[in-house]
Order: sequence, then C-alpha cells, then structure tokens
Amino acid sequence: MSEITPEAQDTVTINYARAINEALAEEMRHDERVWMMGQDVGRMGGVFGVTRGLFEEFGPLRVRDTTINETFIVGGAAGAAIAGTIPVIELQFADFLLTAADEVFHKLAKWRYMHGGRFALPVVVRLPTGVLGGAGAEHSQSLEAIAMHIPGLKVALPATPADAKGLLKSAIRDPDPVLFFEHKGMYREKGPVPAGEEHFVPFGQAAVRRTGADITAIATGMMVGRTLKAAETLAAEGLELEVIDPRTLVPLDIESILASVQRTGRAMVIHEAARTGGAGAEIAAQIQERAFFALDAPVWRVAGTDTPIPQDPDLEQACIPSVEEIAQAARVLRAI
Amino acid sequence: MLSARGLCILPLPEHRLTGRAGNLSGGDRTSATRKRSSSSRTASGGGSGTAAAAPELPEGLDGDGLIALYRDVVTIRAAELRLRRHIDEVGFGGFWHPGIGQEGLQAGAVAAMQPQDNLFYAHRGLGYALAKGMKLTELFGDLLGRASGSTGGKGGGTVHFADPSVGVMGQGGTLGSNFVLGAGTAISAQLLGQSRVTVVFFGDGASARGTFHEAALQASVWKLPVVWVCENNGWAVSAPFSEQSPTPNVADRASAYGVPGLVVDGQDPLAVYAATREALERARAGEGPSLVEAKTLRIRGHYEGDRQKYRDDLTDSEEIPNDPVLKLRELLAAEVTGPLDEQARQAVDEAFEHALAAPRPDPSIIFQDIWAPA
Repeated sequence: MSEITPEAQDTVTINYARAINEALAEEMRHDERVWMMGQDVGRMGGVFGVTRGLFEEFGPLRVRDTTINETFIVGGAAGAAIAGTIPVIELQFADFLLTAADEVFHKLAKWRYMHGGRFALPVVVRLPTGVLGGAGAEHSQSLEAIAMHIPGLKVALPATPADAKGLLKSAIRDPDPVLFFEHKGMYREKGPVPAGEEHFVPFGQAAVRRTGADITAIATGMMVGRTLKAAETLAAEGLELEVIDPRTLVPLDIESILASVQRTGRAMVIHEAARTGGAGAEIAAQIQERAFFALDAPVWRVAGTDTPIPQDPDLEQACIPSVEEIAQAARVLRAI
Repeated sequence: MLSARGLCILPLPEHRLTGRAGNLSGGDRTSATRKRSSSSRTASGGGSGTAAAAPELPEGLDGDGLIALYRDVVTIRAAELRLRRHIDEVGFGGFWHPGIGQEGLQAGAVAAMQPQDNLFYAHRGLGYALAKGMKLTELFGDLLGRASGSTGGKGGGTVHFADPSVGVMGQGGTLGSNFVLGAGTAISAQLLGQSRVTVVFFGDGASARGTFHEAALQASVWKLPVVWVCENNGWAVSAPFSEQSPTPNVADRASAYGVPGLVVDGQDPLAVYAATREALERARAGEGPSLVEAKTLRIRGHYEGDRQKYRDDLTDSEEIPNDPVLKLRELLAAEVTGPLDEQARQAVDEAFEHALAAPRPDPSIIFQDIWAPA
C-alpha cells in the first residue's frame, strides 16, 4: 500500500490522456521493441486523441493504423510478442474485448500456460472504458471483471493521471499481458504527475486516497473521484471514509484492504460496472472470508445497474453510481 | 510462376487423386502433365543415394535434401502408425487427429523453410513439428501427457507442442486462431529486420474463419512475410468442402487479397516443396504473403475412432492413394530407402517407449506458467 504524495516531489500538472501519451512516448524511446497498433492510432492520433504525435515521431512501422480487425489487433499482438517485440495495442472501446474474445481470453491469457511456459506475452491492451455521454450499450461497458475471471491476464484501472502514466509504464515493462482500462470519461481530467521518466507505479499495490476511521470504501476507476467527493460531504456530517483504490485488480492488493477493514469494521465497494458478478462481488467475498470477525456489518456494493447502458446521456448516468448514492449508501451502512 | 494477379495453378501430375478418401476430379487440375519449372535441376552426383536415373528435383533441393525429406516422411509415417497402434491397444487420453497420408505435404513444405523461420502447425498429425526439428521424444511425451513432453506434460492429448528454438510456435485450440498469431510473428520479423518468414498451416475447414480474412487483408497490405499452407483434405470434420466453398479452391480467395494463390498436388512432396519455396522467397524478399493450397486426402476419421458414417467414399483398402512415401521411394535407390525405413521405425519405437516410461507430471504443474517467473 502506498499513498500518492505528489507534493513531496517535482510534479507537472497534465491530464490523464497526456499522461498516457507520455508513458507511450517514453517507453517507445526507451526500448525499440515497443510498438503500437490499433484503429486510427496513427495519423489521427486516436479517436480520443491519446496517441497524438506518436506517428510523427516513431513512423508508420511502429505506430500502425490497422483496418477494422480486432481479432487481428489482439491476435497479431500475441504473435508479435512471442516473436520478440512488445506490442501496445488499442481497442477503440473496451467493449471490443468481446469482438476479440478468443484472442484476448484464449491466446493472450493461455499461450504461455498451454505451452508449458515456453513463450512470453508482453502485450499491453489499452482499453478506453466506461461511460462518456451517449456512446451506447456497446461502447460504454466496464468489463474488467471478465478479465479477473480468466486467469492469465493482469488488469489495471488507473484513476488519476499519475497512475495512468505510472501504471502504463509498468505494464509495458511487464512480461505478462495486461488489460489496461483507461476511463474515457477521465481523459481531460488534470492532476499532478511526478516529473521525469522514472515514474513507475507497481502492480498489486493499492493506494489510500483518503484515510478515515468509519468505513473502508474500495473504489475503482471514475468512482474513485466520486467516492472522494462523497467522503467530503460525509466528513462534514461526522462520517469518515477511508478510500482505497486498488489500482490493479489482477494482482489485487487484498492485504491493504483487509488491514483497513480491521480498523474500520465496515466496508463498501464502489464500481461503475454492473453489480452482478462485478469486481465488487469478488472483493466482498474475500473480505468476508478473511476478515469476518472484524466486520460489524455486511460488505456492501454500490455498483452499476444490471442493465445494458442506454444511449441517452441522462439515462446513462442513471445506470452508474452518483456521488449522492455513494454518500447515502455510506450513511445507511454506518447505521447498521 | 507466382504472380500478384492472383490464382496461379501449378502443374499437377497426370494421375487423378482418387480413392477412398475423396474425389478431386474436375477441370484443368487433372489434365496437366508433370512439368517442373524451368529452374528445376537434377540431383547432383553428390547425392549418392539417388536412383540411377537422377530424378528431376525442384530448385533448392539436392540429393541430400531429398534423402532428408524421405527420412522425415517415413519417420512421420512410422509415428502415425505407432500412435494408431497405441490407441487401438491401450487407448488415449484425448483426441488424436491423424495425419497419415498427409506426411509428404507437411514435410515437403517444412523442407523449404529455413531454420530461423517460424511455423504454426495445423491439428492433423505431428509431421510439421517433427520436420521442423522437434524431437520425437518430446512430441510423444506431449501426446501421452508425460513430463518429458515439450510442455512438461500439460499438453496431453492432441496439440500444443512447442519449441521456439526451432521455430515451432505452438497451436491454438480454436481452429483458425493461428492466422492472426502467425501474421503477428511476421510483424516482429519485419520490425526487427530479420530474414524470417512464418508459415501457417491450416485446413480447408479453418479457411472459413474470420481470422483468415483479417489476417490475409492486413498481412497483404503490410507485406508481412507470411506463407499460408492449406491442407485441403476435402473434409471439415463431417462437412465436404464442396458444401462449404462456392469455389473449387481455397486459393481462389487469394486474389481478393492481392496475393498469389497456388494449387498443388499435396500428395507430391516435391510439388509442395517447390510451391512453398517460391512463396517463402517472395515473402523473404519483402513482397508479402502467398497462399499455397495442397490438395490432399483424409485417410482416417476426423479423430482416431471417428466412424465417419457421414462419408460415402470409404473403402476397406488400407492402401493410401497416391502415397507420398511411395512417390519419394521411386526417386531413391532401394539400398538407401531400406535402411532409412528401418531407422525410422527404430527411432519411433525407441522414442515411444521412452515417452511411455516417462512419468506423468506432478499435479502441481497446474499452477505453473500462468505468469512469467518473478
């Protein structure tokens, strides 16, 4: 567990998209084996502008615009990785994991295993995830729990620009495949990022975003910010949340979560993904298995609705937890 | 012979490919006379084992190469027969998809490859991996689920031999997944400036996968060094090819991707060698991928034990039509082939006994190799 204390070092304030862009550029300069492909990642700089300038700096062989071919993007990356390079690929929307499911969940996740460890698959799959104002049911999902369920894939969900950069740099140097869920609703959010090229955030190390004595609130992705806002409201009411951001779900820093629950006696998990079978279900189960006697109340989930996400931007927001819903859940949980 | 215009039919032998396993009649494929390309040459005197009348060999293959090819083919044949015997007598923990009768195709194509080239094999038999340089003991170890297998005993059953040191890059359990992975290895070769081509074997059944389309389109646009070798044995499990393709050849689709598509007699190892070699040279020169379709026969069921009630072209004959072993044997002296046949049988028997005697893996292996070593 670590706390982000950017104040303690030189930082620059950049947005989340820029942080990802810097990580890509730095790692491609650092290692010639690193390259990228995806739809519109080159000349256009990505549909969300995340890869701007990389095509100009690294050229069309290392920043490759593909056709509309997710099975090729992921399967090709798996093949390239076992043959000695380090692909960083982008699926335009995280939902397209399902378009390339065989390549993601069979090839990336299992090629090393099936072949007795004779191959390495250092592949990073960048996945713009979550809701963004009307993208619709097939472009708005949060699918990270599927990736948790299939052994062989690491899973990162950065919630700040600093983590976006530091986790991505770690992911690119990781010898295993990483699904990197970057929240497309956060691309323009700014924050302090440690200066220089040596900012790496290790996998499997949760961050405590706020300390508090009453409830352990485990939040991921865009819900980290909403939970912190709820915590401010609640603090004025005398209810202190301890907000923990796991940052990576595989590996999961359950020890930091359990240590917090031992102090607070109450826990809630907040995520944007649909409630049933979400990461919250797994985290709640582990807390109850391993910290049952510390608990004064059931572990709660505050999560997305068990529905497809409608295209309408207002209806879409009704599908994911709001600041007020998180705050109200905490009030009720304390009263149990 | 290869042209970017699309389909290019290679000359085929006069005989028709007929027999128990299918009828490949029709059209110009069967009427052409045997004629090698103008660059063909005869085996030199250095290959002392060749038959008295020196055979005409395709460019790149000398007498010693012919002998090595024959050794591979008869070793694969012996391995096929040994496995079948084991399945008949003992049983098998998995499905074996026999490749008997297709050995010449597999070994002929691999013989045209260079040691650094990468190979993705199809599911029918072990010929590809053996010809590319994997050890029989490892292959049998994999098939029998022994710790001595290349996967340490995890690959018991049909597939997942691997040895990247000889370019055997593994196999996906979902047919057709090798198209995209194979193209990916070629991206690495292109980025790293290597003179390395990837050969992807596949069956006529797998040719229907969307992965073929995605890989063919992107590999052609990027001129990736890939060669696709289709083993068209006429059957996708229970479905005849004629019911699954509107055109008589898989290679007919090549023109849509702007790559050469060649049809060769898959029972003729030298024809497959020649076509694959040209495709490899084209890829190595940076001119992009090619598709070689080798017409062959499915001698046995989809898996060993498949009763094939869906087929009406079966006979009781054990004879393999247009047997590639016999075809190569015609080109070599009996005093050469006799010892090679015996050596192959002996090597196969020894390796099989070695695998049978090897331990099963410890169950703790299930927790190994999920992640890279820390």
